[in-house]
Parts: sequence; structure tokens; C-alpha cells
Amino acid sequence: MLMVMTLIVMSLLGARLVELQAVTADGTATLAESQRMRTSVDLAQRGRILDANGAVLATSVIARNITVDQTLVKDAAAEAEALAPILGADPLELERKLAGTKRFAYVARGVTPAVWEQVSALALPGILSESTTKRVYPSGSLAANVVGFVGRDGRGLGGLEYGQQDLLAGKNGEMTYEVAGGGRRIPTGQEEGINAIAGSDVTLTIDRDIQFEAQSAIAERVREAQADGGTVVVMDSRTGRILALASAPTFDPNSPGSSDPADRNNRALTEAFEPGSTAKIMTMAAVLERHVATPTTRLTVPPTIKVSDKLFHDAEDHPTEKLTLTGVLAKSSNIGTILVAQKLTPVVLYSYLKRFGIGERTGMGFPGEARGFLPVPSSWSGTSLPTIAFGQGLSVTSVQAASVFATIANDGVRVTPSLIASTTDPDGTVRPSAAPATRRVISPSTASQLRTMMEAVVSEGGTAAGVRIPGYRVAGKTATAQRYEPSCKCYKGYVASFIGMAPADAPQLVVAVSLINPRNGHFGGAEAGPVFKDVMSFALQAQRIPPTGTRSPVTKLTW
Amino acid sequence: MNATLVHERPVGRVRGLLSSPLATYHLLVGSTTLLLALGLVMVLSASSVESYKVFGSSFVLAQRQFMFAGFGVVLMLVISRVPIASIRRLAWPLLGGSFVLLVAVLVIGVSVAGQRNWIALGGPFRFQPSELAKLALVIWGADLLTRKQTMLRDPRHLLVPLLPISGLIVALVLLEKDLGTVLILMPIVAGLLFAAGAGAWVFLGLGALAGAAIALLSMGASYRMGRFAAWLNPDADPLGVGWQLTHARYAFAVGGWWGQGLGASREKWGSLPEAHTDFIFAVVGEELGLLGTITMLVLFCVLIMSALKLARDSQDFFVQLASTAIAAWIGIQTLLNLGAVLGVLPITGVPLPLVSYGGSSLLPTLIALGLLMAFARQEPAARKALADRARKRARASSARRAESAGAR
Repeated sequence: MLMVMTLIVMSLLGARLVELQAVTADGTATLAESQRMRTSVDLAQRGRILDANGAVLATSVIARNITVDQTLVKDAAAEAEALAPILGADPLELERKLAGTKRFAYVARGVTPAVWEQVSALALPGILSESTTKRVYPSGSLAANVVGFVGRDGRGLGGLEYGQQDLLAGKNGEMTYEVAGGGRRIPTGQEEGINAIAGSDVTLTIDRDIQFEAQSAIAERVREAQADGGTVVVMDSRTGRILALASAPTFDPNSPGSSDPADRNNRALTEAFEPGSTAKIMTMAAVLERHVATPTTRLTVPPTIKVSDKLFHDAEDHPTEKLTLTGVLAKSSNIGTILVAQKLTPVVLYSYLKRFGIGERTGMGFPGEARGFLPVPSSWSGTSLPTIAFGQGLSVTSVQAASVFATIANDGVRVTPSLIASTTDPDGTVRPSAAPATRRVISPSTASQLRTMMEAVVSEGGTAAGVRIPGYRVAGKTATAQRYEPSCKCYKGYVASFIGMAPADAPQLVVAVSLINPRNGHFGGAEAGPVFKDVMSFALQAQRIPPTGTRSPVTKLTW
Repeated sequence: MNATLVHERPVGRVRGLLSSPLATYHLLVGSTTLLLALGLVMVLSASSVESYKVFGSSFVLAQRQFMFAGFGVVLMLVISRVPIASIRRLAWPLLGGSFVLLVAVLVIGVSVAGQRNWIALGGPFRFQPSELAKLALVIWGADLLTRKQTMLRDPRHLLVPLLPISGLIVALVLLEKDLGTVLILMPIVAGLLFAAGAGAWVFLGLGALAGAAIALLSMGASYRMGRFAAWLNPDADPLGVGWQLTHARYAFAVGGWWGQGLGASREKWGSLPEAHTDFIFAVVGEELGLLGTITMLVLFCVLIMSALKLARDSQDFFVQLASTAIAAWIGIQTLLNLGAVLGVLPITGVPLPLVSYGGSSLLPTLIALGLLMAFARQEPAARKALADRARKRARASSARRAESAGAR
């Protein structure tokens, strides 16, 4: 009897086994597997941003986000008290983050692995972490307005971090694997997935040392002049490469939130302003190209001149002057400029401005770059030609203005400015940027004549005699433009600039300095000139450019 | 072996093998060895994760189980050689010792998983007096009823002092809150009574009493109610009490026909609680599939049937009683464990004999099986067959000696 009972009971257990392992197995097994499978993101390493010599401007390090499952927290106050000294946070604020009913919330983002180890050692209930990467900018604000910054999610929000987001970010992978009850990965389980593809490194044309000099010089000048801001552009005129691009005041990309949003912009690219007298160089270029005049053409410049219905003055009142064309440029005479410009048609002046790149983006692909403004000739009024000829009624960015001078420096051939020298694939393959587009704007001889005329600007009788650099021949142009204020649609304050090149007889570098709304003076030569002199001197040394050893020709400004 | 058997039909051959004098002994040894070996392999696999988590090495728990098994097998082999008369002389000392220890554990015992029924022996070694009580009850009860064999028609002699004494033991074990052991002690008593020829009314009465007591006790402990509710409806609360059952079911389903392979269990990685102890059968199912679980089931069947066969075939009343009691013990323990893991009985927390991790369960089981082996060897026919074999071996070895001496 007991034997029969045993057999029956064992058979029933056996039947149950067959039911569980054969009859209903498939459905249950599928359910079990679906509950075990987890998918996690394999974070792609974000590419670095390097200067021209490989110095790191932006890189990513491994970090942890500390998170909380609030339902597991037993004593929020006690846990906050324990965490506060490690995270360097306010206990009360931490307690607010820990208390509640959310299954997931952030407590601290981007802490170092060492900090997480300390937190982890406390074994506080509900405190978890996720691995992440943190963007760090080892040089702080150096080139910050070029490099840009990232948001909390690690995506680029400004500058090249934003502009080159796709290239830098790479592609996150995805891992699917089996986990046990506690969320631990089962080593013997099945797993499959796609590995992350790291982002590419971006190597800039920026030279860290020149950038530092430019930033320091403009920041100091902005402070001294109590200006709203300032920019410096340093460009290699033969290649179009931008060696420095400073914008003051600047910000620290390690904590972008603590800065004024306006300071995160790259003013040299995103702000367009009326160029003022630096635009006269383009008028002169057209005049020379069209053989309307030569540098030595004699002009009689009256104190005022009436064009259409408007009476024009010069910056400073003067009796009738006898100036050469070079003298008109050197003394930045508006009336003299108008006299020669009136010999051009609007279409001709417009076409030269256009070919110098005014009113169009430089083509270097920086996010948020301003186009500037150049009205088409058909909309010009009677006073448009004279005003545009001396730099009003159109607007340019600092980089556009620098590019005009670089074109003259480069014997009349415009090279599209560039900021990115090359990119490096995660496997180490270096991909140099495509050669920039070039176009001839003026003839080499015109360019050469313009440079000689601009040397007169820094001569004794010119507007910027103070910017001469011992040993080097410098050519340049000052500008003092009234600043158009978009908020009141009126002129308010000034933009003082100086743009120049060296060596004047075989130019390699162009430096453009602009000071926005200086409070204690507004003449370009005085305000922007010293910065130009500092930065150009430094850049010539840094780029190991020797003096040409020639002497500036003596040019007559008056007759 | 008899040469004529070779030419018989297969069924006849099996029948012939089963009727050989040492068949029961060999079946006991065979099924015990296979279950123990399979159990050790499964403990090694199922305990590896838990062991690594607690001790930093995957092998600590398995090593202990191998030590328990080694020690237990030696005990089993020694006991299998002890004369029945000597065993019977241990009846009262065992019972007395059990009482002392069961009382002692209430005073100096340590708690493990809510049950205060362990005596610490230093280091990781602990001892459960309630396990010794099972053995004591088997030997003492069988010895008692054998002495009273002629008077058992009288219910007073049948039930007294067996029921009062075993009742006292049950009560002491209950004080330790060890319901699992009570569920084994009661079948032992029932097995003794059954083999002693007690009438149906005895079982009906005892059954009603035990049922009422268990129901009452279950209500008294919330965790038992939870286990009961989970058994009735495991899907109601899959993250709570039903968790273990749900994951056991997953393990069986994932194992399917042929299993995921030794070592490949997913549930043992923390999802299935007690994977190496009470729920090891689920890991067997996951790793070895239906093939493995049915094999194990058949081995248990063989083990229990052998014990029952011994009880049926023996002329010794003590052997009949003790074998039935041990068969009831192993059988019910197996049923309670498998029933729970398979989700057809409530979870009672009893380990699977010979397979689950734990020396406290393994040692008494091996000793009980050693007793069965001793009984099987001392059946008159078996005794004669063993003596013949010994003589044959002696002759063969002396012949070999002579041969090798001659060769020299």
C-alpha cells in the first residue's frame, strides 16, 4: 500500500514537472527572459578639442551622476547630513532632493569616481549612481568663446561644442544583457549589443599662446576703457587660418551657468556693427582698381560737403585741406573719401564690397555667425553711396573686417577664414580640413598700393602713429564708428577699432581689434591701437616671423 | 550472478535482479550514491554565487558540503556494519540525549532565519538537536514497539508511551518554532504505527488532531500565512512572497527539456532565494532540464521504494518498523520539498534530502540510510550472500597469492 502511494505521489510530481518544463515552458521562459533582459547605453567618448599644437582645450573624463530612489530612503535628513561634507553641498538642499516618492532623481551630477567611492562606502539606502562623462576645460576661459560649452546632458550648447556636436559626440552604443534580481549582470547570461563609437577630436587653428595674449590684452583694455566689450581676431593672411579669436568679457566653460549669456557668445562672429573708417579701405580699393585716382592724386578737401540733401562733416572740424589720396586715408577724411567715391557708381562700389565678403557669412561654419548687412544698390538713396563709402549704413563682424584686410595682405586674394585645422578619427586617422575656397578680389598691385597707403596711417601724420612696432613695418587703419543700438534704433556710443597687418611689405598676420562702447574716449587709434600693438608684437614672435629689414617708403599726405 | 538469467526476457531479468538477496542493499547504496553525487554537483553550482557574495570565493559553501558529505558517508558506512542488536541498545540513550539537547537549545540556542533551534559548535559549525530527535524517535519507537510486539492489539500498549513521548518531542520542537521538523516527526510516528498494524481509526484521529494543530499554528505566524497565500495564488504578489515561487517556475520553464547546462542557471544569480538549499531542485530543473529532474525523481523513488521493500521483505519486526519510519521520513521530506518548489504544496522550508546544502540535514539522512543499509545487509539471505562473496574473494586472493608465489 505504501509502495503504491509512493508511486502515485511520485508520478503526480513527475506530471507537474512535465507541465512546468515541457507543456507551459515556452511561454513562461519567454516571460522570464524578457524580465531579465536589460538594455543599457554604452556611452561614446566625446572627442577632444585641441589647439593648433595639440594642447587640450576640451576633454571628457569619467564621472558619476549620483542618483536617488526616494522610496528607499529611510531618513532623508540623516542621509543628507552624511552626504553634505563629501559633496560639499548644503544639507537642507540635499534633504529636499532625497525626500519624496520618486523612484529616480539626480542628487549630484558629474562627481569624480573618488567622490562616488566615498559616497558608496557609506552604503546609504536609496543612493545609487550612473556612470557618465564630464566635460572639462583644462585651460578654463582660454578660447572659451571659440570652444563653447556643453549642457548637463553633455551635448554641445555653444561654440564649436555645438557647431561640431555630431562629429564630437560619436555614437552611443547599446548593450542588452541579462540581470539577476538585484540588477547585477549575469556573467554567464547572453549579451549582445553595438559598441559605442567614440567621437572625433577636433584640432583648431587657434594657437593657445597667441589666444592667451589676445584675451589678456583685450580684457585689460576693456576694463581700462570701461567698454561694454571687445574682440581681437588674429589671422594668418596667407592661409585664412584664425590664430586667435578673443571676446571680452569671457566666461568659464566649466561652469557656463554662472556667466552672463552675452559673454558666452563669440562677439567677433556673432555681433555685426558699422565698420566706420576701416571700410574706407574698400572704397580706396575700388577707386584704385577703377583707376579713378592713384595714391598720389591731389584732392582739395573742404570743411563740409553737401550730397543730395545732407551736409557731411569730418570727425574734427578743419579748414579746407590739400590732401593726397594717401593723406585722405591716413587722416581718415570722410569728405576726401566722399570726393573720390562719387566718381564710382553705386553698383561698382557695391560689387567690390560684395567681393570682399561684406553681407555674407565668412564660410567658416561657426554657429550663430552674423551675416552683417549690405543694402543692394537698388535700395540706395542719394546719400547711401557717400555714407557707405566711409563705413556707415552697412554692418560687418570683426572677422569679416579682418578678412578684408587679410585679402589686401594676401595680394588681393581672399581666403575663406577657417577655425578647424583637422579632425582625428577615434582610430587615429587625421583628416585635414579641406583647402579653403579662394577668390581674387583686387589685383596684386592695387593690394600693394593699399598697403603702402595704410603704412601712412601709422606714420607721424597718420591717425595711429602709436601702434608702430620697432623693427617691423606695419600697415593698418583706424575706425571710430558710431554704434547703432538695435534696442532704440538710434546711434549710441562708439565702436573703436584698429585693423592692421605686418610685415607691411610681405604680410603674414592680420590683427583686428574692436572695442565696443569705450567710455573714456572713442578714437580707434588711441583705444584699440595699444591692443593691436601688444598682440601683433607677440604673434610675430610666436610665429617666428622675422622683420623684412626694409624701410617704409616716404609718402606725401598733403600737397 | 546466475548464468541462466542471461537468456531470459528483459522483464524477467529485472525481476530476477530485484529478487537477488543483495538487491535491496545495492539499490539503497546506488540511489544514495547517485543522489549524493548529483546533489554535491548541484550545490557546487547553486551555491557559487551566494558563496562568492558572502565569502568572496565561489567554493566555500561547496567545500563545506563536501566535508559534511565525506564525514556523513563514513558515518553511514560504519553504521551499515553495526549489528541490529547494538543499534537497538542505543534507543533509550538517543532519546534521553535528544531531550537534553532539545531543552538545552531553548536556553543556549542561536537563531538562524527566525528559528531558534541551533547549537553553535564553534566556527561555522552548528548543530540542530531536532535532527537528532528524528533519528532517536525512529530507533526508540521501533525498539519500543518491537518489545511490545505481542501486546500491540491493545491500543493502550500501541499508543502509550509512544504518543506521549513523541508528543513531548514535537512540543519541544514546536517551542523552537521549527514547523518543518514537526512535519517530519509526525510521519515518522505514523510510519511506526502503520508498520505496527494500527487501525484506520488511529490515523483518522491523529490526522484530525495534527491538521487542527498545524492550522492553528500557521495562523499564529504571519510568515506562514504569507507562504500559504502565495501557494494558493503565486501571481497575486510576484514581488513579495510569490517571488520565490515565480522564479522557481521561471527556472523550470527556462530549463525546458534538456536544461541550460551545468552552471548556467540564471536564477541562482540572486533572483531565486535559497537556490542552494530549499529551492535547489529549481536550479536542477534550470541547468539539467526535465531530463535531470525526472532522473532525480526516479532516484528518490528507488530510494524510498527500497526502504519500503526492506520493510515488506524483512522478517525482523524492528526492521519493518524502523524501515517504514525512515521511508516515511525521507518520503514525506522529499514530497514537502518538491511539492513546495513545484508550487503544489505550501512552502514549509524543508530541505531536499541528500541534495540541498546543509550538514544538519545531510548527516541525519546519511545516518538513517546507513541504518537501512545495516538492516539490508543483515537479512538472512543477504548475510549468506555476503558471506559467500567474502569466501569467494578470500579464495581468489589466496589463489592469486599462490599463483604469484609460484611465479616467483
